Amino acid sequence: MTRSLFPAQEIGSLMKPRWQILGQHGEALDERSRGEFRAANERTHFADALPAATEALLGGRSRDAGADAVRDLGALFALRLFESAGLERVYDGEARRIEMYEYPIRQMRGFQFQGHVRSFDNKYYLKAAVTDEVRLEHPYHVEEFDFVRAHARGEPKLPITGPYTLADWSYNEHYLARQSGWKGPAVRRAAQREFVVDLAKRAVRPTLAALIEHGCRVIQIDEPAAGTHPDEADLVVEGFNAATEGLDAEFSMHICYSDYRDLLPELLEAKRCRQWAWEFANRDRDGRDGYEVLNALREYGDTREVGLGVVDVHRDEVESPELVADRIQRATKYLGDPARLWVNPDCGLRTRRLDIAAQKLDAVVRGAAIARATFENPRA
Amino acid sequence: MIVRTGLTGPFPRSEALVAATRDLDRGRVTAEVVEELFGRTEGEVVALERRLGFDTVTGGYLRWADLFRPFAETWEGFSVGPLTRWFETNTFYRQPILHAPPGRVPGAIAARLPPATRADPAHAGVILPGPYTFAGLLENRSGEAEVALVHRLGRLLAEEVRELAGLGYATFQFSEPLLVDRPPERALAEAVVSAYTSVHGSAGAASTLVWTYGADANPVFPLLDRLPVSAVGVDLAETDWETIPASSERRGLGLGVVDPRTTLVEEASDVVRIVHALKDRRRPSALWLGPGGPLDLVPWEPATRKLHLLPAVRQALNRENGGRP
Repeated sequence: MTRSLFPAQEIGSLMKPRWQILGQHGEALDERSRGEFRAANERTHFADALPAATEALLGGRSRDAGADAVRDLGALFALRLFESAGLERVYDGEARRIEMYEYPIRQMRGFQFQGHVRSFDNKYYLKAAVTDEVRLEHPYHVEEFDFVRAHARGEPKLPITGPYTLADWSYNEHYLARQSGWKGPAVRRAAQREFVVDLAKRAVRPTLAALIEHGCRVIQIDEPAAGTHPDEADLVVEGFNAATEGLDAEFSMHICYSDYRDLLPELLEAKRCRQWAWEFANRDRDGRDGYEVLNALREYGDTREVGLGVVDVHRDEVESPELVADRIQRATKYLGDPARLWVNPDCGLRTRRLDIAAQKLDAVVRGAAIARATFENPRA
Repeated sequence: MIVRTGLTGPFPRSEALVAATRDLDRGRVTAEVVEELFGRTEGEVVALERRLGFDTVTGGYLRWADLFRPFAETWEGFSVGPLTRWFETNTFYRQPILHAPPGRVPGAIAARLPPATRADPAHAGVILPGPYTFAGLLENRSGEAEVALVHRLGRLLAEEVRELAGLGYATFQFSEPLLVDRPPERALAEAVVSAYTSVHGSAGAASTLVWTYGADANPVFPLLDRLPVSAVGVDLAETDWETIPASSERRGLGLGVVDPRTTLVEEASDVVRIVHALKDRRRPSALWLGPGGPLDLVPWEPATRKLHLLPAVRQALNRENGGRP
């Protein structure tokens, strides 16, 4: 399939609209959220496919609409938002997911949730310990993919949490306990390796296989924890390779907020990874060139695609299309081949209000168009 | 050999406190209600510390948002900066931004110490940022070079210790994860020694500990052994105990034996075996046993369960010692 230069893609979650949160909890929409629903529907007609649920929701009968149908509407809303922005690869903004750790872990056996850990200030996350061998109860994300596939006009691209991150965000009891004696650094590493590989083989791979069987062709494996332990880059790779072994799909690996040089060259051993989806825009400020790190890929002779983060998801300030185009051009200079670039936000836009997210997506697409014109017509 | 036990960093918030502080942010409860719960929960931590026979009581530092926040919020020259990852964890701190030469505000840190420690300061554990970690993890816009900043923060922390010692506090721990994560060299290493010379000199009869964690301490022992403090602590989950170098200087050794990265409870017999080996190799005057780092990396219930290791180890060592502590 021939694509134009710099196609745009989604990369993760969107903030859930207020009407979805109220509706899926069975609460009647207030005037504001009803207005937001109507305004969005006028733009993208996302709700056309579910008239009964829409009527119930807007009529103050959220319980009649049903939580599942409200989530369906949330998924359609995100899907159409991405599509109307002009993205070629789309998903549902993770409209049905609460987060990226707890949900997959709850689809497995062998884990026990231990309680909350403080992330910062008064923000916490729930954390589980692996207390027995990992077993998958049933493949996850399959139903949500089926829904997206049935409704998407663009090419569906599914994000899924990788085995290394699932392991890193859990406590390792079972695999540590199998090691005798004091659990020093070497023992901990060996136990973590067993844990990552087991998660990859017993939970993530069967899920990926089921998704592929349902027609999923483009899969982004999210490994945000990779950047926290650069010395474990080989474990990230081992997990990735074990999870994708023998599977046929277009896999990418998303890692954000890391010094990618610290993960190289180990990361390059990820077989079947066709695209690196990394964050760059966040570090492209205060006189720093956030894209210079791409030189490292060139130095190592890596020729894979790059999903280029061109807008910062941690700032409300919306990048101009010209800035996005400049970023694409710089990245092309470092990589040496424009055909290897996809463009996307740095990471999921769930940290931003939906109106800001939409403007940033628009900047991605417009910026890509400017850059494309430059390459297709160098004198333009 | 004296064996001392205690917390070496913050204790996790209880699930009730987690829920209350979340509700506070969502405007569902009042600050007064949450403050009352902080007080009650701190009381529970103190009761736990006493029940486990800890030598120092901390109250868990439940209100401290991070190691630097009380300083960034009260000392002159600072503002509170952006969220920044705390070493190799999935937790974050707000990076202090230093705009001008820092200045301490008398009484400010004392007022931020857990109220439970004020009731009996002689048996309280004061946990402060070490000057090297503080200087290295802030965003320095003051124009002062890092070496000079370590010297300056050492002097300021020495003043802090002098003030707190005057209030009766007798144990000061300085958290120095950066010392092992990014060991200082040459002039910076000398600045660290100088900073601790100031700190220890101002402590009078009080004990001073430098507690490292999060990375292998073995490469840094030549520097740690030069620090003029009562004891240095290392994280045994990250440090290969079998290669900890010998020492002829009889001073305190801190061992982080409760691993805050796992909910698995450590075996007392494993710790006792390590203690025997290190006792012969380093001949410590005192042994300080505690968590290898901030125990708030695990939730309240497993943290409580894990801490029972410490009295178990102490009892085993005392039994071998004919019942003498």
